[in-house]
Amino acid sequence: MPKNETVTDLGLDEYKYDFRTEDAPVFKAEKGLSEELVRQISAHKEEPEWMLEFRLKALEIFYSKPMPDWGGNLSTLNLDEIYFYLRPQDEMQRSWDDVPESIKETFERLGIPEAERKILAGVGAQFESEMVYHSLKEEWQEQGIIFESIEDGLKKYPELFREHFATIVPPADNKYAALNSAVWSGGSFVYIPKGVKVDIPLQAYFRVNAEQMGQFERTLIIVEEGAEAQYIEGCTAPVYTTESFHSGVIEIIIKKNARFRYTTIQNWSNNMYNLVTQRAMVHENANMEWVDGNLGSKLTMKYPSCFLVGEGAHGEILSIAYAGDGQHQDTGGKVVHAAPHTTSLIISKSISKGTGRSSYRGLCKVYEGAVGAKSNVECDALLLNETSRTDTYPYIEIDESEASIGHEASVSKVGEEQLFYLESRGLSTEQAMTMVVRGFIEPIAKELPLEYAIELNRLIELQMEGSVG
Amino acid sequence: MSEFRTVAQFEDVPENALLGVELDGVSIVLANSDGEILALHNECTHEEFPLSDGEIINGQVECLLHGARFDLRTGAAKALPAVRPVKSYECRVEDGTIQVRL
Amino acid sequence: MADGIMTRPETVGGPELLAERRKAAWEEYQSLPMPTRKSEEWRYTDLSKLNPESFERMEAVDRSSEPVASDDLPGAIREILAGDSARSGTLVELDATIARLELASEAVAAGVVFAPIAQIAEQRPELIENFLFSSDVAPMERKLWALHVAALSGGYVLFVPQGVHVENPVHIIHWLSRSGAMLSTHSLIIVERGAEVTVIDEFMSDDLDGDSLSLNGVEVFGGDGALVNYLALQRFGSGVKHFSMQHANTPRDCTLNSFNISLGADLSRCDVTSHLLGPGSDSEMLALWFGGRDQRFDFHTLQHHAAPNAHSDLLFKGALTDKAESVFRGMIRVDKDAQLTDAYQTNRNLLLSPDSKATTLPSLEIAADDVKCSHGATVGQVDEHQLFYLTSRGLTREQAERLLVFGFFGEVLARMPVDSVRDRMTDAIERKIEIR
Repeated sequence: MPKNETVTDLGLDEYKYDFRTEDAPVFKAEKGLSEELVRQISAHKEEPEWMLEFRLKALEIFYSKPMPDWGGNLSTLNLDEIYFYLRPQDEMQRSWDDVPESIKETFERLGIPEAERKILAGVGAQFESEMVYHSLKEEWQEQGIIFESIEDGLKKYPELFREHFATIVPPADNKYAALNSAVWSGGSFVYIPKGVKVDIPLQAYFRVNAEQMGQFERTLIIVEEGAEAQYIEGCTAPVYTTESFHSGVIEIIIKKNARFRYTTIQNWSNNMYNLVTQRAMVHENANMEWVDGNLGSKLTMKYPSCFLVGEGAHGEILSIAYAGDGQHQDTGGKVVHAAPHTTSLIISKSISKGTGRSSYRGLCKVYEGAVGAKSNVECDALLLNETSRTDTYPYIEIDESEASIGHEASVSKVGEEQLFYLESRGLSTEQAMTMVVRGFIEPIAKELPLEYAIELNRLIELQMEGSVG
Repeated sequence: MSEFRTVAQFEDVPENALLGVELDGVSIVLANSDGEILALHNECTHEEFPLSDGEIINGQVECLLHGARFDLRTGAAKALPAVRPVKSYECRVEDGTIQVRL
Repeated sequence: MADGIMTRPETVGGPELLAERRKAAWEEYQSLPMPTRKSEEWRYTDLSKLNPESFERMEAVDRSSEPVASDDLPGAIREILAGDSARSGTLVELDATIARLELASEAVAAGVVFAPIAQIAEQRPELIENFLFSSDVAPMERKLWALHVAALSGGYVLFVPQGVHVENPVHIIHWLSRSGAMLSTHSLIIVERGAEVTVIDEFMSDDLDGDSLSLNGVEVFGGDGALVNYLALQRFGSGVKHFSMQHANTPRDCTLNSFNISLGADLSRCDVTSHLLGPGSDSEMLALWFGGRDQRFDFHTLQHHAAPNAHSDLLFKGALTDKAESVFRGMIRVDKDAQLTDAYQTNRNLLLSPDSKATTLPSLEIAADDVKCSHGATVGQVDEHQLFYLTSRGLTREQAERLLVFGFFGEVLARMPVDSVRDRMTDAIERKIEIR
């Protein structure tokens, strides 16, 4: 059993990033991006040649692509000031004292256990969850389930890895996928064999914690025919990190008759730029669900997608976005119908508070030949203050006449009558608002695992304080 | 059955290269994959970008715009965001000329 | 080959007000690139092959003082003039020539002005100088707007003074006679406080043996409490590429409704913009299109709520068959101070053939919180259950489908304010459905 490493107070500035190991050359972490850095990353991870080439090519693609001229405001994101690679040990050297008071308070209010607080603040090693992880791991190994770090996935299952890696999100897909492809580090590799049904959700924070806060995590999930599983990452408690840029890529392949759900709850601190590419390829009669909760970050741009390529495939995206003061959630979902009798559903609920802005951005594309395709999109936005903003930008491209496509969106504020009714039953205005907001997101919140739902509720309560007046 | 028509010279498409040509208004990409010449419709089925601007990797052509990939022999889509195959054409080399049948 | 303003801007003559603005537009046109598919607004419509310089443009000619005889008018126009019920005003433009211009005596007496733009620019510039070409045109539309103004070949001013209710519709017919031509006509409609009028701009031609370019700009300025119904009926033959840029401005308590019916042309692109500038302002925007062959319809709409307490309701419905394609891009934009906004937008698309295609992008940008806004869009086919119901009652499948397509359009047709126009359009649609 790995020892619980105690964190000692290290002077952050001078010592943090200089490191020496026995067999590797001195690694000095530097700000900014370069070919040299990419080579270092690959060498450090002892990757095969093809992966190094892949990374270098992705770096070139990143340089050649322009910044997107839509979505959120990325103008203050300065890539030269960012550390693109910190070894896991480097990331741990932060002191609890450096964590902002407001974050500590939130942990207190949310009742987060002591040990977990440190994890969330990127400050300690999680002993308890490691134990849980190890015992589950034995069980899973017997069934042939693979749940490793992405680096181990590449090392231990090279053929399986190479067959699927980057076939769902190629580096050229978009600028930030290219960046991730060049500097990816940390993430999960999951493989569920044929017919196996995993009843416990696979949780990202079960794994050895070092990679869990990875800025450029890369996850590859393969669900074989007839298999079923669930994956959860993130948490509702605020995650504090000095790093301010998170660009992840998640690729999922769901084969015939399989079922999979991927749940993310993100509550990054308000200095974070969160740009993620999440995409699933869904085969015949298979089922994919994305449950996406975006509560934090300064700017999130994330559109989980389902490519329905087999007949009868079904894809669903349930999205909650909360944009508080100074936040911009630019989220939504994409569905591509490329086979007959495929169905999809996107439900998006967003709340804008204070000067927050929530934007729904979605795509529904139906290729010719996708006969009998059915898609429904419903996006609702709730505005809590005069200064709150919301936008809706759906793209609907239908090239098949025998398809049935519907899209609806609405924007409203909390109704006076609703508030009046609740207040007349003894609730304060704040409590009434909280109830209404909870009711608003309920259709999606009920899909979350219980502990998340509870935390989400508490978080909403917290956020609603001071929302009135 | 239509005939084979000359679209280029063998030297025009060196090893690992792609070349876009036109035949009867149809845009075709020729690829030299390990010495063999293959022909596909020169339009990515994702957003209609010319495949001839891309590159050959392991018997597949990768589109420059978003990284979609197609099998050079069959035209099958091998990587998202492409979901539809691209049309492949019969192709042969005769007396140093490349001929395609539409 | 192009002549006149295309190569020699200094030769634009005529009244100074007009010449000045046209020259400025020409400068602007030259300085801007043609929008490409990279821009959102033109993503689905390819302008790369559009070469305005390849069309022959014309300068406006006013022959209204010697009106063209009925027999010399194209048959389709004769039919309309003979058949339609009462009109308060009539204008017939054959290409760039005003062939007929009439205004009912009561209207004249009440101070209504209905005349060619050049004439008003000459005789009463103060009437239009604060309005003409003043609309807020979005950056990606500017190139075509500038071309439209610079290459102006005709159009009219309709001015309705305070409190005047113009009893019957004012009907303008634009006829395009041949291929290789570029027509650019402008409708400037100024309706003062408390006044009321219904205006119909109808566009027609035979099927052409080549391409022609039709540019059309519409600016409607309403006064407080005014009521304007604007109908645009596009029934060009094949060969025409039509670009219509419609801008409406409604202040306090003003109601401005627009109806766009697009049945013809090879490419028909309409920008329909409504700025709700005062509390109590109201805008209903309706449209209907039916495409066949390989026609393309492209609609861009904007419901801009700049003031509180305004209401807008958009309903755009299209049916496509053969290889026709359509794009609908609709935006509801609510400014920060536009509280108590009520805005709705609905786009429905019916695909009747395997090769037809519809793209719809309904969008919202909401910065005020006390609002009711919603939008909806659907794409689908004729309902199988309804089809079955009708065929099981003895109708053939074709007959049943026709009926259902009619039912589909019924919602929009029922809301058209001019009965005679509604009947004529119903006939035209019927004919189009039957042909396929």
